[in-house]
Amino acid sequence: MTFVTTDMAYIAPLLILTVTGMLLVIAESFFRGRDRAGLMGLAVAGSVASFVASVVLYRQLEPGSSKLIFDGMLVADRFGFALTGLFSVITALVAMSTPAHQREHGWENGEYYAILLLSAAGMTMLAQAAHLVAIFIGVETMSIGVYVMTALRRRSRRGNEAALKYFLMGAFATGFLLYGMALVYGAAGTAELAQMKTKLLATANPEIAIAGILLMVIAFGFKLAAVPFHMWAPDAYEGAPTPVTAFMAAGVKAAAVAAMIRLFGQYLGGDVLPFGAVGWASPMVIIAGLTITVGNIAAVRQNNVKRMLAYSSISHGGVMLVGLAAMGLGSSTGQSSLVYYLIAYSITTIASFAVVSWVGSRDRERLLVDDWAGLGQKHPAAALAMTVALLSLGGLPPTAGFFGKFYVFKSAMDVADNQLIWLVAIGVVNSAISIYYYLRLVTAMYFREPTEPFTPSRSAPLEVVMVLCPIIILAMGLLPGFWLGLGN
Amino acid sequence: MQPGYFVLPLLLALPLLGAIFVMCTPKEEHALHRGIGLFFTTLTFAVSLLTLSYFNKTVAGYQEVLDVPWIPGLGAHFKVGIDGISLWLVLLTTFLMPITMLAAHKAIDRHVREFTAAMLILEVGMIGAFISLDVFLFYVMWEVMLIPMYLLIGIWGGQRRLYASIKFVLYTMVGSLLMLVAILYLYTQYGSVTGEYTTDLEKLTSLVLPHNAQVWCFVAFALAFAIKVPLFPLHTWLPDAHVEAPTAGSVILAGVMLKFGIFGFLRFAIPLFPYGAQVCAPYIGVLAVIGIIYGALVAFAQDDVKKLVAYSSVSHLGFCVLGVFAMNSAGISGSIFAMLSHGLTTGGLFLGIGMLYERRHTRRLAEYGGIWKQMPVFSALFLIITMGSAGLPGLSGFIGEFLSLFGTFNAEQSSLPMPRLLGALAATGVILGAVYLLYMFQKVFFGKLDKTKNGNLPDMSDRELVVFLPLVLGIFILGVAPRPLLRSMEPSVDAFVNQYHNKLVEPDGPAHLQGHAAPTAAADAVNAPRADAGNGVERDLGKIAAQAREVERTLDAANRAPAAARVAGGAQ
Repeated sequence: MTFVTTDMAYIAPLLILTVTGMLLVIAESFFRGRDRAGLMGLAVAGSVASFVASVVLYRQLEPGSSKLIFDGMLVADRFGFALTGLFSVITALVAMSTPAHQREHGWENGEYYAILLLSAAGMTMLAQAAHLVAIFIGVETMSIGVYVMTALRRRSRRGNEAALKYFLMGAFATGFLLYGMALVYGAAGTAELAQMKTKLLATANPEIAIAGILLMVIAFGFKLAAVPFHMWAPDAYEGAPTPVTAFMAAGVKAAAVAAMIRLFGQYLGGDVLPFGAVGWASPMVIIAGLTITVGNIAAVRQNNVKRMLAYSSISHGGVMLVGLAAMGLGSSTGQSSLVYYLIAYSITTIASFAVVSWVGSRDRERLLVDDWAGLGQKHPAAALAMTVALLSLGGLPPTAGFFGKFYVFKSAMDVADNQLIWLVAIGVVNSAISIYYYLRLVTAMYFREPTEPFTPSRSAPLEVVMVLCPIIILAMGLLPGFWLGLGN
Repeated sequence: MQPGYFVLPLLLALPLLGAIFVMCTPKEEHALHRGIGLFFTTLTFAVSLLTLSYFNKTVAGYQEVLDVPWIPGLGAHFKVGIDGISLWLVLLTTFLMPITMLAAHKAIDRHVREFTAAMLILEVGMIGAFISLDVFLFYVMWEVMLIPMYLLIGIWGGQRRLYASIKFVLYTMVGSLLMLVAILYLYTQYGSVTGEYTTDLEKLTSLVLPHNAQVWCFVAFALAFAIKVPLFPLHTWLPDAHVEAPTAGSVILAGVMLKFGIFGFLRFAIPLFPYGAQVCAPYIGVLAVIGIIYGALVAFAQDDVKKLVAYSSVSHLGFCVLGVFAMNSAGISGSIFAMLSHGLTTGGLFLGIGMLYERRHTRRLAEYGGIWKQMPVFSALFLIITMGSAGLPGLSGFIGEFLSLFGTFNAEQSSLPMPRLLGALAATGVILGAVYLLYMFQKVFFGKLDKTKNGNLPDMSDRELVVFLPLVLGIFILGVAPRPLLRSMEPSVDAFVNQYHNKLVEPDGPAHLQGHAAPTAAADAVNAPRADAGNGVERDLGKIAAQAREVERTLDAANRAPAAARVAGGAQ
């Protein structure tokens, strides 16, 4: 193995996040007092630096060029750096949402920020992975951090339950992933994604390879909370501290999709699929249809805002799978539309959870829809931010969510012979259903009288997130061209 | 650039500017907000009259067109323009807005700033949807209308406003999202046939889809529009929305928004998928007739005046649907005319009911009686509006209903089966219309003044007079002198009918451009440039094919009616 020092430059986002994470571990022991603002500042600074590095690297590369680094373990291309940039932004926004929630709910553990950044480092690795081992390391680095963060509210029963559930399910998923990888490696004789497709097309053991690929689909299905592997998600989302929930819903899901785009879309997809559509595209189409529908219908019944958002995020995961299936079946616009969707969905999700943690406070967490009655009268700005986020989740123009869904469905329609038209029809009918539960919250905020005064958890960084995200959502909706070009 | 291209964007910019402006004013200055609202809607109306001066009444195609690229990656354009069909609907919108704003002065007393902004944004969406010549822009505008109306019902509405507002949104969304799938399908089909991906309506109209795809796509579009009309049995959201909405919301909902259903059929569903329209026409025709009679009967059974008028809309819009699917000039002109008349009369009825409600705080027929003695001026004006709605000759309602029924009677069997029977059944709706409207009028205004609360109701204030008079005048003018209106829409309507029949005779088969139902070899040549853009020989073949298409198109233009050729030529 040769070690090329210039390769190090191409993993700058990963390095910056890792080093900042380690610095945070050390710094934590110097911030003895209750005030953890310094830690938050350092975490944000690290994420921003990683974002800047991503932008610089992105601009250095030619569109469409891709360069294998570290002997084919990782890859440097524009798609990867677009996503490392996104993950850095997610990390920064989540870090900024945290102090208020920590203060109100008493879980001011200093190690939080260190774990957050290390977990984000795992995500950036997934965005650049070009080797089964790199994917596995990325998934585990990311996941273990998130398990710990879920459990950080040590005195909360729900928190502990959520963490245990998430951890056990995650451990199973890891087993599936590893087993699948082993089988695929056995059939293909290589773990490098770049050569995987040619090797698989010529393999002597197609059954083993198919089994391996499907096991990997299941493992990613767990990470993505795709139906029927979604059972852990609502409990974990509800029990985790709200900023961590945002990180799980936005970051982990986006990272899982990033890895799936690499694995299935870029390296195993295209005009000739190994083993035809049965290989992975057809199962994914079925899972996508189920995920969109089940997530949505379950969300209709929720009275708890966090659970409602959890189910809605399951449903959004289904839309991402539609994009993946489209990409695998040869749609040329699949990747760019998925990247747009990931950005739109992540920013929107963070915005909605930011408002959720802003509205609640120590005594009243205000997680029920009824608790939000009259927010529009008392705190119009917060209600407006939430409304923009909800309309974007529901896919109404002119928000980012509308164009995201529109582009993903459009890419699905690009697939030859209109194979996916029924999936698109299922998707849009579900969009209409989803309007019901999103508008329920809007209705409560604007159309009902407040029953008791609100005691929001005020915090400047959190409020910055609440202003910034809706602006990005609207900017993406009004000028979609720029954002759509990012994924090429 | 066509003359007057700046007017239509201005019609969108002015209300938008007004909405932004009003949101920047302090919260408690209610008088200021009302003033701003009235000012901007009146200004928009004044500017909209400019469209009339630039409009050439002898031309069939789109006029005052502005075309600016919007989302290059998608091929979406900001393309707006009007023709004889949309011109008057735009004017109806801008005409009703200031009246509605003025009428809401007293009824809306909280969140006036937000109310004004919502109304102005609503106006942007409505005008935008009428003038869009790009399916994507149309879809966005269609959705932009939704949220302000949802807020209007939900914030300033009545007792059951939560239920009504969500029902309204859900019904509309379900329809429009399936329409989106059909738009996407059409878009990809056009792209794969021509190699150019665009959402330009004129270009998409020149594409002929295979017959079974036309039926599916038409059904998807028709569902969206039938919900909006509303066509029986998709009408159940309407009474709820109307009853709970504040007067201003009801006026705009009935006066303008229901028209998008009919307009959508005329502008999108039928020109894009004529074969689908032909297949579905019998079902839609029967549902329209059921709607006419059912709406009238249910209206007659109501005790709530507002609900009565809401159901009367179901009945009246049935005539419009029937007229459209007669597929002849008389039916379609009649349908458009009936929409304009319905906008004025039903708008007026809702305004009048609002005025009564402000005085008595009830809408129950049983609570009224003998009002004429207390409010003679109001009663007289209300009578004219009622008669206009009931279709009294000399007032606006008569001409629209007459023409659309006339068109239905004369419809070709191939467009609308059993035209005589459907026409005859629908005509009973005219009689029933007179029955429930006169019943309503008698219950409210005649009889003994036996309720003490009705004892000292003040007659109309000056403001209310200003609200009512333009409507009454409009009803008179439309009724007495319909010619100029009908003449100005004639070229567009004729072109629509011609285009429908021309496109209908296109043979079934793979998607192709109109007039290019070439054998498969030519279709392959059309596809060649896209499939193998890198190959030199193929590219040259593509050029030759393109030249051949050019020649064919020139021949076409010489042979066909000018309008039809223009639409086909728009493909390049």
